[in-house]
Amino acid sequence: MTKGCIQSHDGPCSSSSLYHSLSCLSLFLQPKPENAVTIAVSSRVLFRTEREQKVFEQKGVEEYLRYQIEHENEPFAPGPAFPFVKALETVNARLRDLYPQSEELFDIVLVTYNHAHVGIRLINTINHHNLFIERFCMTGGSSPIGYLKAWQTNLYLSADADKVREALAEGIAAATMFMSEKITEVSEYQLRVAFDGDAVLFSDESERIFKAHGLDKFFEHERENEDTLLDHGPLKGFLEVLGKLQKKFYAKGQRLDCPIRTYLVTARSAASSGIRALKTLRAWGLEIDEALFLAGAPKGPMLEKIRPHIFFDDQMFHVEGAAEMGTIAAHVPYGIAQNHNPKQNASVGK
Amino acid sequence: MVSTVLNTDVKQKDADHAVVIAVTSRAVFGSGADDDEVYGEGLAFPLLQALQRVNEHLLMNNPAELLLFDIVLLTTDSQQQQQSPRIISSTRHYGLEVGRFCFSSEEDFVENLLKNNVQLFLSTDRNEASQATQRGVLSALLDHQTASCPSEQLKVLFFGDAVIQPDTGPTPPSRQAARSFSAQLGEMQRRFTMSDSPLSIGLVTWRGGRDSCADALHTLRSRGVRVDEAYCLAEAPWGPILSVFRPHFLLSDGFGGLEG
Repeated sequence: MTKGCIQSHDGPCSSSSLYHSLSCLSLFLQPKPENAVTIAVSSRVLFRTEREQKVFEQKGVEEYLRYQIEHENEPFAPGPAFPFVKALETVNARLRDLYPQSEELFDIVLVTYNHAHVGIRLINTINHHNLFIERFCMTGGSSPIGYLKAWQTNLYLSADADKVREALAEGIAAATMFMSEKITEVSEYQLRVAFDGDAVLFSDESERIFKAHGLDKFFEHERENEDTLLDHGPLKGFLEVLGKLQKKFYAKGQRLDCPIRTYLVTARSAASSGIRALKTLRAWGLEIDEALFLAGAPKGPMLEKIRPHIFFDDQMFHVEGAAEMGTIAAHVPYGIAQNHNPKQNASVGK
Repeated sequence: MVSTVLNTDVKQKDADHAVVIAVTSRAVFGSGADDDEVYGEGLAFPLLQALQRVNEHLLMNNPAELLLFDIVLLTTDSQQQQQSPRIISSTRHYGLEVGRFCFSSEEDFVENLLKNNVQLFLSTDRNEASQATQRGVLSALLDHQTASCPSEQLKVLFFGDAVIQPDTGPTPPSRQAARSFSAQLGEMQRRFTMSDSPLSIGLVTWRGGRDSCADALHTLRSRGVRVDEAYCLAEAPWGPILSVFRPHFLLSDGFGGLEG
């Protein structure tokens, strides 16, 4: 990506103030947090840090930091969130072309409870991979939740399920990511985000019925409540902000080659329980590009075709199944499914 | 007129090794009613307690430790000067580890700072802080967002933008003061491991992006300072970050307080 100078709102770059001179020299100006879609990623999902994790677990924090400093000039390899972040930057480049003055962009922030000692290695790594990350928080062990809220985070990705749960409890969309050995190639030109329905976009109310009373009761309940909107789930807001950015491309006649594409991949079935999901989305004013109703069939093969940069599901069973086929899947630890053993409890048609 | 009173309740620190910090009595004590014997706790009270805790930990590790904070309570307000007995008795009442009391007027308090070899001056008054900085004394402005954080650790936040400013011409004395103070903090940190440190050092950069932050980290490292937490804002708003980090004071490398 080329470094460039953009016009500030106050007029052409001039040397009359330090601010303007700096903006001429610097990379693209960072958008203000309240205008941007803020995506916070932790260092363990953006990069691969397994070796360092092992040092930390086996030898303690002092040795871990010593190791990091010793290897400071060795960049980390890309982690599970890396392709997603690269795709966000692709979208930003397209948005800047169309709307050079706008701050409605993705703002990628590194939020880690790593110690600032690791900071130089992380910055070297970001430089090595040419990533556009200019904001970060290294909290040295304290909870990053306060900072997530301060920066009006729209999505938080971490390797630590407890931190993710904390974020969800604070109303921040969040998901846990895992390193997988098999990753299939994803598009470099189009950001693809796939969502499960229940307990991700929607609340877990219907799942509760299914878990408590079984499949028949579930169908009955959905039929009876077809015209009642589902309540919203933790990732609804994120789908919403994606939709807002999509509309910016449509407004410039770029519907067909929009660099953002969204998918609903649900075990609901199109003819019956899926109707309620669609009606709800429509009532929310949210468009989803492709809705895939699997009626209980496994999600893996469908996801393998879609090749999303990230797939959100509340059930570890589906996350693991997707990962086995090379899909980058993230777990949303929300709702009733968390009380059940993931491998045992497949949702056989929701 | 300038006067110095030793606090006989407290063991005097070694002048060659101690780190002298002057805090204004206005910052430490709130206003008390006239009949009261003792002042209430002011906004810098938790800060003072945090400084004391650092000393306690240093002495626990090594009872013969000489690198300690030496706290001077400075009264610059001529009105407050008349209350000097009450300032002294309040200090004793709370068992504050103040080594000495300095009383001076608004005109000559900076002389007092220099004479007492003060390495850091903390005040709630912007003018006072600015005057001291101009005469080469490292100063920090205390306000409600800082100072009063009731944390177990002493939390110091370096403002990285100032740390990496290039020197134009000869190094200003306040900058020298900042360098030597940070080196001493680094020295104190090295007395502890990561898990039992009573000191927490943060860095925040506002202008520029990650490379500015990397520069600041390198600079502080070269002074022997171990940064625990780092925040690179790239011009995002300060306030929310400060209200989460809650430093006791901010050091801006002798370039005065934060602007904006």
